[in-house]
Amino acid sequence: MAIARSIVDIAVAAASRENASRVVRVNVLAGELRAIIPAQLILYFGLMSQDTIAEGAHLGLENVALVGRCGRCGKEFDVKDDSLVCPECHGQDVQMISGTELRVKDIEVE
Amino acid sequence: MKINVMTDVLEANDRIADANRQVFDTNKNMVLNLMSSPGSGKTALLERTAGALQGRLRLGVIVGDIETTRDADRLEKHGIPAVQLTTGTACHLDANMIASALSRMDLASIDVVVVENVGNLVCPAEFRLGEDFKVMVLSVTEGDEKPLKYPMMFRESSLLLINKIDLLSYTDFSMDAAKANARKIHPDLEIIDTSCVTGEGVSEWVEWLCRRYREKFG
Repeated sequence: MAIARSIVDIAVAAASRENASRVVRVNVLAGELRAIIPAQLILYFGLMSQDTIAEGAHLGLENVALVGRCGRCGKEFDVKDDSLVCPECHGQDVQMISGTELRVKDIEVE
Repeated sequence: MKINVMTDVLEANDRIADANRQVFDTNKNMVLNLMSSPGSGKTALLERTAGALQGRLRLGVIVGDIETTRDADRLEKHGIPAVQLTTGTACHLDANMIASALSRMDLASIDVVVVENVGNLVCPAEFRLGEDFKVMVLSVTEGDEKPLKYPMMFRESSLLLINKIDLLSYTDFSMDAAKANARKIHPDLEIIDTSCVTGEGVSEWVEWLCRRYREKFG
């Protein structure tokens, strides 16, 4: 619910900066690790946007796969079964390079 | 018309968390965000910790619950200064709630502030509060597969306390499986086995706190 609230706030602020009167769509990048439940977030977004210029806007959720990069050999790989071990050299120094984000990407306004 | 935004959804929270962190740093507080399921033994652990820390570090607790002040009452009986935050409907604490608690604590007379988060393995991992470390408690009655079910929480934590190990023989919990699962998600995760009934592992946990405090403030 706090996340939905925050998405509405960000969208309304961005639209206001451009003097838009209505937000029709909000696109969000949702990393796999954030375990967002789309139906639930869309429901809360609908509730939180009531009486704002984002009321009735469509919430688009773009799932971003979890990708790791090995610090030892540089291999980039899809993280499967949440295992953060490099499939190439079995190194354990793995940075997650995508799939952890939760970000408002862009909005469409009128 | 399309407008590019690219703003982190929790940016507003993170800004407040940074401000909290500054207040804590100024007061020489090391801050832990203590997270777990409901009933894993967070409050019991803190009761034990206060005694074991006596004469070394002064403990203060900010405790979040949906309702009641029972946890703060329990802690204060042990002489631990505690501020209770009741979240109403929210299933986690956020940076703003912590900010509201700061003025209700004598931070200058505390060394380690533990934020006892609302019992929940999902949402608390999302909201930075201004802490130095996230610490997780997993009790053996919950099952050894939890790291795989709630990866974000285990990924974000610096230390995992596997609690209630005195009950191991009554469960099918495998310590090896739990640790292997946790380290699959987070290879560098530090793990300490604890029991608040027998006191096992409490001194190791206290040493961890003292070591981290020294590393931070010398």
